[in-house]
Amino acid sequence: MKGQILSGEFGKIIIRQKSDENIELGELLVTEDKNKMILQVYDLIYGSQLSQQNLELISGLKLEENTDLEFLDKELRNYNLALLKPMITLQGDSVKLTKTLPKVFSEVREVTKQDLKFLSKPKNPLFVGKLRSGSKFLDVDIFLDGEKAFSHHILIPATTGRGKSNLTSCMLWDSVGKDYCGILVLDPHDEYYGRNKIGLKDHPDKNKVVYYTTENPPTGAKTLKINLKSFKPHHFDGVFYLTDAQKDAMIAYYKRYREEWIEAVVTEKEVKGDFFESTLAVLKRKLSSLLNIDSVEGKISCKGVFDTQAGESTLKDVVGELEDSKVVIIDTSSFSGQAELLIGSLISTNILGRYKNYKAKGELKDKPVISIVLEEAPRVLGKKVLESGSNIFETIAREGRKFRVGLTAITQLPSLIPREILANINTKIILGVEMAPERQAIIESASQDLSSDNRNIASLDTGEAIITSNFTKFAIPVKIPLFEDFIKHDSKKEMKNDFTGVKLE
Amino acid sequence: MKFAHMADCHLGSWRDPKLHSLSIKAFMVAVDKCIKENVDFVIIAGDLFNTSFPSFDSLNIATKKLKQLKDEGIQVYVVPGSHDFSPSGKTMLDVLENAGLMINVVKGEIINNKLNLKFTLDNKTGAKITGMLGRRGALEKSSYEQLNKESLENKKGFKIFIFHSAITEFKPSELDVIVSNPLSFLPKGFDYYAGGHVHTVMERKQEGYGLIVYPGPLFPNSFKEIEDLGTGGFYIYDSGDIRFEPIKIVDTFHIDIGCENKTPERVREEIFEKIKGKDLKNTLVTLRLDGVLETGKPSDINFKEIFDKIYEKSAYFVMKNTNKLASKEFKEVKLQKESIDELESSLINEHVGQIKIENMNINKEKELTKKLINILSAEKNEGETNTDFEKRVKQDVFKILEEEKTI
Repeated sequence: MKGQILSGEFGKIIIRQKSDENIELGELLVTEDKNKMILQVYDLIYGSQLSQQNLELISGLKLEENTDLEFLDKELRNYNLALLKPMITLQGDSVKLTKTLPKVFSEVREVTKQDLKFLSKPKNPLFVGKLRSGSKFLDVDIFLDGEKAFSHHILIPATTGRGKSNLTSCMLWDSVGKDYCGILVLDPHDEYYGRNKIGLKDHPDKNKVVYYTTENPPTGAKTLKINLKSFKPHHFDGVFYLTDAQKDAMIAYYKRYREEWIEAVVTEKEVKGDFFESTLAVLKRKLSSLLNIDSVEGKISCKGVFDTQAGESTLKDVVGELEDSKVVIIDTSSFSGQAELLIGSLISTNILGRYKNYKAKGELKDKPVISIVLEEAPRVLGKKVLESGSNIFETIAREGRKFRVGLTAITQLPSLIPREILANINTKIILGVEMAPERQAIIESASQDLSSDNRNIASLDTGEAIITSNFTKFAIPVKIPLFEDFIKHDSKKEMKNDFTGVKLE
Repeated sequence: MKFAHMADCHLGSWRDPKLHSLSIKAFMVAVDKCIKENVDFVIIAGDLFNTSFPSFDSLNIATKKLKQLKDEGIQVYVVPGSHDFSPSGKTMLDVLENAGLMINVVKGEIINNKLNLKFTLDNKTGAKITGMLGRRGALEKSSYEQLNKESLENKKGFKIFIFHSAITEFKPSELDVIVSNPLSFLPKGFDYYAGGHVHTVMERKQEGYGLIVYPGPLFPNSFKEIEDLGTGGFYIYDSGDIRFEPIKIVDTFHIDIGCENKTPERVREEIFEKIKGKDLKNTLVTLRLDGVLETGKPSDINFKEIFDKIYEKSAYFVMKNTNKLASKEFKEVKLQKESIDELESSLINEHVGQIKIENMNINKEKELTKKLINILSAEKNEGETNTDFEKRVKQDVFKILEEEKTI
């Protein structure tokens, strides 16, 4: 027994902690009456039979006069009180939101694996960690319904060092080889593939992981090349600032030269319209700089990712791979922020377009859900960014779920994302967040009532999280395993080498 | 140093005797040009033959021309391609190599589970040549994954890598469905990468690699290739410079008519308009019709009359493609896909998942189906008994099923 309920109100049940027990913030407790009720500790305070004045006096005597005073029946006179909020009520096999108070003086005990049998594995399980009670964790795996969670967007907010990358790595690892989802990862830190460390390249189903990079691709990785013909003017929306005249010039070029329009801008071909020379010159400079291309004697010279000859099928390949339920990682670590967004925008526009088309043809239900992992999400979903014009990521955040396309947004600063977009993100995996305004933004947009969890969120240690989701009955505290430990149970498949056709000596 | 680089000769392709003979002639002309150009050696980057067990006449011509090269002191270096290499590992190229008519450069040894390819030295020029074969469904991937690239990259000298695979990064958009391998499979630092398999002409200087070249086929292998390429050809490398050497056996003339909302009579008139006054002597004529006719059926277009008219102008051969031509009366008929690959993929997608197989997800099932289709499309070779043919196909099928662990 951990303690006993003594008073309080709904949402603030006060229990007295048994003297030889320890109760932690965030711990799950159970009280059993007619039904079983699971409660969570959200605050801890001291309680005493003595007045504050007397306590202060006794403390003074001990401190100043070094007296050897001891309380008579000290466990009875001074104790800890815990404030609990009800999570759920179990009536037989059914789980309901709690609407009643447990009886006064009901005993509360530690939660056990047996109490949590109702946490069943969904059809398309996405592993997020072990159930946590305070800082301890139980051997109970917590799964989200991956199909629903990914399509209705996921937010992963956390202060640096609280385990965002570790959680994302675990989720990606768990998603590899699952037919229900394809995941696009725009990876600005080149950390998920594991070029020089353990990563998704070590997955037993590594043929379901595709890695695009520009820098010295390891064997099997693809060199990221995007053909200039792939771009249309609207792909640049939200990527960089363009005046109305520059936008009009882009459209005029596109109308005249179609897929050769970028080449036409950079090689200064003629275009219809009353455009100032300076407008066209600035447009050329901006495109040349962003795309790392130049015009040499009327021909385009390409130095980086964007190319006139290579990469014609890249876009189709990436979208096809996602439709084949693969995890596609694009290493954007060597790009400018704008180039990264441009590539993300191009691919995302294509995915959404294709899935809209599937919906129109009634084929959408057979397609895997696609999630786009965005690091530092406010760069594309921030209030300031969106004030200067909408972009594809905002569109996906608002309407993507209808087309089975979702975002997995990772950020340290959720408060920079507009409230209505945060509200559209139906699953939030909250890791430790130290800054009060950031916590407030999350609490206000959470799927469950987290109004009393402010302190709880602030005190989350590395790897500890709270999941609040439209697809869970209550806000679930979880402990996320260390990626290196998590992948240990997925032993590497013995690859059968096949050198057929090679004349071996 | 001067060498020729050809690929995808596909000797034995085309069922029609006239087109079949053009394909054979293209190879003969190519060899004659190599001799005339006095090249030091010839590279054939896969698919010399259209099947692993070619017909007598294909083998006869190949042997004759390869012997001519040998007599001229011109060595031929090859890698097997996806067509002339069977899943069971047998290829007629072995016979030609044993006869001293060519050298298959895909040789190596396994050290610590890694494939260490060996260089074949061209004695005349000192060029070091190695390469990797191509297999159906890009099954050569497994060998590339275990390839010790470092040992190849560290070797000094003029190096040539022959391969028979599409490179993902350089796939043209019209071939986006073709199975490909990433550029990162290839060892870096070679002077010349002699590619095959992709039926388009491409040359590119790639940073960190060298000159990557695809010559395309010696003669187009499909209706669309005739339209797109017109003619085939090969490359000649001459002391650092390269040039494409086209092989023109016949002229080509393409008629492409959009038939949307047109009557069969109107279509007929437009075709006649297109050939009016044209000299079609010794010309291969392609006729492509697409769209939905306003009235009537595609069969209402009098093709016999049209063909006769074209042949009257001494055309070498006329071929038509009406896959995307439909009539309003038969709207429910689905338009056909462009290539066999696309058509097969689309049929597989329609029917996949109907039979439950243990440990087999949809994507695996698709891949396996494609591989089985490839094997089961094998034809009986000349001189092969029914029992041997059946045995060969069974062996190939069991090998694939074994690989997929479904048996």
